[in-house]
Amino acid sequence: MTIDIRKYSEFLEQTASEIDIPPGKYQDAVDRYQAVGRWLEEGTYSGSSGELIIYPQGSFRLGTVVRPIRGGIEASYDIDLVCELPLQKDRTTPQSVKLMVGDRLREHGTYRELLDPEGRRCWTLEYTEQDGVGFHLDVLPAILDGRGLLDTAIAITDKKGESYFWSASNPRGYGVWFDGKNAAAFARTAFEQKENIQRRASLIYSSIDKVPDQLVRTPLQRAIQLMKRHRDLRFNHHERIECAPISIIITTLAAHLYGNEPDVYSALSGIVGKLRAHAALVESGAIERSLATIGLIRRKPDGTWYIGNPVNPGENFADRWHEDNHARARAFFSWVDALQKDLLNILGETTPRLLKEHLSKALGATVVTKNFDVLIPPVSAIDAPRIHITNAAKPWRDV
Amino acid sequence: MTEGLRRQIVELASVHSGLKNVVEHDAETIVSGTLLFEASADGLETIKESFEIELMIPHDFPETLPRVKETAGRIDTRYEHRNPSGTLCLAVPIEQRRVLLEQPTLLGCVNRLVVPYLYGYCFWKKHGRHPFDEAAHGHEGILRHYMDTFSLRDDLSALAVISFLLEHGYRGHHDCPCGSGLRVKICHGQALLALHQQHTPQTLRGDFIAVFDLCFAKFQNGQISFPQRMRLQLARLLKIVSK
Ligand SMILES: [Zn+2]
Repeated sequence: MTIDIRKYSEFLEQTASEIDIPPGKYQDAVDRYQAVGRWLEEGTYSGSSGELIIYPQGSFRLGTVVRPIRGGIEASYDIDLVCELPLQKDRTTPQSVKLMVGDRLREHGTYRELLDPEGRRCWTLEYTEQDGVGFHLDVLPAILDGRGLLDTAIAITDKKGESYFWSASNPRGYGVWFDGKNAAAFARTAFEQKENIQRRASLIYSSIDKVPDQLVRTPLQRAIQLMKRHRDLRFNHHERIECAPISIIITTLAAHLYGNEPDVYSALSGIVGKLRAHAALVESGAIERSLATIGLIRRKPDGTWYIGNPVNPGENFADRWHEDNHARARAFFSWVDALQKDLLNILGETTPRLLKEHLSKALGATVVTKNFDVLIPPVSAIDAPRIHITNAAKPWRDV
Repeated sequence: MTEGLRRQIVELASVHSGLKNVVEHDAETIVSGTLLFEASADGLETIKESFEIELMIPHDFPETLPRVKETAGRIDTRYEHRNPSGTLCLAVPIEQRRVLLEQPTLLGCVNRLVVPYLYGYCFWKKHGRHPFDEAAHGHEGILRHYMDTFSLRDDLSALAVISFLLEHGYRGHHDCPCGSGLRVKICHGQALLALHQQHTPQTLRGDFIAVFDLCFAKFQNGQISFPQRMRLQLARLLKIVSK
């Protein structure tokens, strides 16, 4: 059996788009969160001066959404929103910021019903939708905490026991950083993709310029989605689910390592190859000098690990990697090896059936079945009846 | 199952050997299996594909149209031409009848409706656009079919045509329902006769209700008004179809 790498890349692309949020669902989510935003904006918050703003962060903002799988079943999309109150840090408390937002949400008849019990940092609204594909909207109360007009840093609230603390974050800054890493590939593909999306979802977008940038996906974003889906399936039944590599680490490292490859397969293979080259760090060994110089993943003299937030080097995403004899670090590197084996070393598969089985285990049976024909056309051997179509009917839909 | 249908199933299987599972139910016969085809269309590429499908054939086929499902979950959820129940939207009912009457057998149904539909889907999946035109969804698609077939300019003329068909069938010496003032025979005679032959009481009734609903909604919004003569006719016809 020979596999054409271009076709395999196309298969990966389609599989990623299958686990992505579809345009209609994306638009629903935007409508939902804008409605929440308007409701929050119209509230009054003691001590506030200026306008409250609400914006997405995380995978929804970065275009790396993956439909979660919980217990083997496709679950609701998670959408993270920052709700920035116009308050000064020295004139308020984390508790009051958190509770004012919660109180305002409870003032709304519908949101009161959708609201989960208070979380550590967020308020979560759970939407169940008619088509069975719902959303979790996580609203993260925050205040601006920058040191100048262009500084987008925020302070968010963190509840430990009954006490509330400030903690630092900068999702907007991170988004801008990510966009920078993605920019060249975005410029290369945006128009063609928007054209495609508009044609497929003409009921939602009447013209190409109505298609939002957030729906365009570069090979970097596709690679991140596939890595996250593979992670979800691998750690789903794992006894150490808490060791699953967190999305912000995957996204940060992938964006750093992406070399502007033009297709998903080469993007993924570039990223995974460079991640594997860091594996010697687990035994405190030496790694390739060029990688050591960049210092994406580092061991500190005391043996702890460091993966910095690119917009806030003080924040260490790997601050728990040394615990339990480096359990998280080990889980990370064995996962990276599995990525290589499950998604990149597929040329050795002997039969289409085995290939399909392995890919299904790695990415999910439903999505693989749907797109497997891209990879291996099913009908090459048999003689098909030939039909020439004339005067074809137009497809329709009853509503 | 009638002898006629049995023979049609044999004919179908002699061409599409994968469609070999036959189950008989009270109200319909279900034929399912793999539909393999290599299809082309003028000026367009050849596509070789196979799909798992299920044909639900009512006992009065071809009078009543069969429903068709793709059963392996291969049709992209973003593809718009599926009914809420998951059946494939081959075409508006009267157009399905038009195509089917060219070859009113199960094989005709598969070769002229199902294969072109699946070819269209594969083409869309590959290129993001449809190779043949697409009909507007819902009642609008039905209305458009009349407007296109008769080159009509407004909804009321379409309603007049369908009302004419429902009330008179084909009458060559009547005034043409398009409003030209000419007699049917020298105006839209051919098109009207073709529709008259394609329709069944069921499709005619369905189309009348669809087009009337659309016009009535516009009437309520104040966008159109019904001329006096049409009102009387509509009152008569509504009584008939509501029986
Ligand atoms: Zn006429």
